[in-house]
Amino acid sequence: MHPDGKASFPDEAVPGGNRWRRRLARCAVLAAAVMLLLPGWPCDWALLAVPSLSPFVAVPAAIAVRGVTCATLLALPVLCLAILWPRCFCRWLCPTGLLVELAGRCRGRGAGRGARLPNVGAWLVALTLGGACLGYPLLVWLDPLAIFAAAANTAGGQVARGAWLAGAGLPLVLLVGLLWPGLWCARICPLGATQDLIALPVRAVARGRQDKAKPSANWPMPRRTVLGMGLGGLAAAGLRRVAGAARPGRLRPPGAAAEDALSGLCVRCGNCARVCPSRIIHPDSGRQGAESFLAPAIRYDDAYCLETCVRCTRVCPSGALRPLAAEEKPSAAIGLPRVDMSLCLLGEDRECAICRTHCPYGAIRIVFSEADYLCVPRVDPRRCNGCGACQVMCPTRPAKAIVVYPP
Amino acid sequence: MGESLSRRDLIRILGASGVAASLGGVSAASGAEEQSTASGEEFLGTVIQPQAVQPTGTCAGLVGGKVIQPRRELPVLGQTDVLVVGGGTAGVAAAIAARRAGAQVTLVERYGHLGGQWTGGLVLVVVGHIVRSGKQVCQGIGEEMLRRLDKLDGAIIDRKPGVNPTVDAEALKYVMVEMVQEAGIKTLLHCWGVDAILDGGTVRGAVFESKSGRQAILAKIVVDATGDGDVFAAAGAAHRRCKYNIGLVSRIGNVSQVDRARAAGAREPRGLGARTPVVGVRWVNMLGPEADGLDVSELSRLEINHRRFIWRSVEKIRNTPGYEAVRLLETAPQLGVRITRMLHGVATLTVRDFRAGARFADVVAVGGAAGINHGEWQIPYGALVPDTRVENVLAAGRCISAELRMADMIRVIPICWVTGHAAGAAAAVAVADACPVREVNVAKVQQLLKQQGAYLG
Repeated sequence: MHPDGKASFPDEAVPGGNRWRRRLARCAVLAAAVMLLLPGWPCDWALLAVPSLSPFVAVPAAIAVRGVTCATLLALPVLCLAILWPRCFCRWLCPTGLLVELAGRCRGRGAGRGARLPNVGAWLVALTLGGACLGYPLLVWLDPLAIFAAAANTAGGQVARGAWLAGAGLPLVLLVGLLWPGLWCARICPLGATQDLIALPVRAVARGRQDKAKPSANWPMPRRTVLGMGLGGLAAAGLRRVAGAARPGRLRPPGAAAEDALSGLCVRCGNCARVCPSRIIHPDSGRQGAESFLAPAIRYDDAYCLETCVRCTRVCPSGALRPLAAEEKPSAAIGLPRVDMSLCLLGEDRECAICRTHCPYGAIRIVFSEADYLCVPRVDPRRCNGCGACQVMCPTRPAKAIVVYPP
Repeated sequence: MGESLSRRDLIRILGASGVAASLGGVSAASGAEEQSTASGEEFLGTVIQPQAVQPTGTCAGLVGGKVIQPRRELPVLGQTDVLVVGGGTAGVAAAIAARRAGAQVTLVERYGHLGGQWTGGLVLVVVGHIVRSGKQVCQGIGEEMLRRLDKLDGAIIDRKPGVNPTVDAEALKYVMVEMVQEAGIKTLLHCWGVDAILDGGTVRGAVFESKSGRQAILAKIVVDATGDGDVFAAAGAAHRRCKYNIGLVSRIGNVSQVDRARAAGAREPRGLGARTPVVGVRWVNMLGPEADGLDVSELSRLEINHRRFIWRSVEKIRNTPGYEAVRLLETAPQLGVRITRMLHGVATLTVRDFRAGARFADVVAVGGAAGINHGEWQIPYGALVPDTRVENVLAAGRCISAELRMADMIRVIPICWVTGHAAGAAAAVAVADACPVREVNVAKVQQLLKQQGAYLG
């Protein structure tokens, strides 16, 4: 459309006939991605597809959790594609890329200023990989597909307090695209840089064949990648210490990784909050630690974590929430309730055992103390999984007498 | 002079009674010796034959170290269409419902008053009849009782939409007796139902212990409103037994005379309870430990411990500056037994249904909730009917068929009155149609309940 656009658009190096075909394909992929993230799918797998395609999420996550999930396997074709045709994903498939490019085109003439930036994306990838080796993939949340999914999830489902923030990533990226066209895709996008990095050995081998004199000089691992990984490892170690430090902490969904790893593993796609039938998963405000900003946190305002539901754990692309079987649910503890007897109606000899009645796991007993001649609710930590039914049903207002705290 | 006159009078009286007795065809040979101690002009009591009260020679005997109760025929006190065992909230509602539907009803109660836990147990606050929206879903005969209390002075407080009212126990005892008398229900107090009368698998009445000894009443339908399910359990209906909190409620007085100025600053003592319709009088609840409400040694131990605790608790209150005037007025005549037996019914109430607000085709009662976040829930007729083939007995009140986790929902006063109302109406329909309770036309029961002012959703 604008033949005077800069060469940094992935679009431009292609002859005219092919360009239309490609544009059609990209629009179709965008439509498909939006469709997958629209509400109304009978199964949750549709939500998992978009953020799981990214090797930038899948590889560091697999390294960090030291395992492979179904979601990781979805990224494998993209990985192979990147080896065979570098940046092919950007050119043909990436829905975020198309939107950023369209944003850039709004500027028309004179676009492309300020695009002189070092390859930030490569550094992001290096830092993330380094962090992943220590179980904390630092920057996976910058993944363009996760950002796209987060925006779609915010628009399409969850409208809880603060949820709009979770979807703010895409507008920000689009703003970058608008101000400095081409900058995001070419220089910042870590998914693009991941593809470059994957393609490096292939290129090196190819070049090595041509120039047999100096094979070792072209060894694919640039020094800055190694340096970046080292720095990433250091940062990850520091952040894990900060995140895991003894603080009250927040309630996390069942199957969540340990507190010191969760904020690194979570890509902030909002899938878990989107599928939760009780609408109790909210983006973390980050008030208790900026590193867990927008990570999933549970709030028991008027609904509890259903005893048979494991949906949030099945839509996590990065292993921040371990996929649970329904039978595992009772043992996947979210927290443990504590009773404040100065609020509890039993402390006033009033007739109440609502927490016991509504506990789905039969974990609450009303125990009589002969010394105080008083009944006290007691929670059996072996049976309780912190589902919050007791807290939700507790009749005291405004503060609840029984409140679930992180384990 | 008193001596000779008195003796003469006595002989005259004895003579008269002897004539009366011989006319009645009963031997008058005995009695002179026992009655000779009676003296004084004011003595005008009629002499009664001891045999008429308790047949002699039927007491238990020690046979080979074992206590053996001889086999004997029981006197039949009467015959009725519907026999309601237990004159608590459920029993009174059941009796009134059945009588108003045209059945002959006999109501028997172990204490000297009606109302059970609502009056004798001092469970004065009515909880569980309203839902989230503030609508009152437990209506019918129980609501009629509340309306009668409304008309009396100082018999009920907090009668506002969406609020749990508190009643006065004595006013309610009065209202219940009035309603039972107006309906024309044969009422026997001080009668403790102890056994079912079985004919094959069908209940034909119940056996009672009282000062009159062991007697029987025959009936077409028996409503078990004992709370403990004594009748259906004796008849062999399947049920679960459980321990539950047993407390003792008390009332304290003079709370209006607390010197607020002197009490200021000090922490308010525990056990001041909640207000009642009587000024300055508050009722104090107690949950108590989990115990077996069918174990008499447990009941005795708890009664003793609870009284001791209540006395000391009030002493503590009186030792608090400003609270010296507070007095213990009474401990409840009835121990606060909550749950003992629960029927295995044709249908069972579950927490799942309760939460989901499940609707039943055979709904006969609707329950509400105490100020917490949910709507009304339905009670099906099947929850009153034994699962096992024991015929013609219906459960009402806190012993109906429910999951143990539902116990806190079903044992409250309004649920007792709606299930009692339903059981009474069903019994009347069964009598009118001459069919077993299991095969009662539930549509007719529902229609009758609605005619009697019940709300069925």
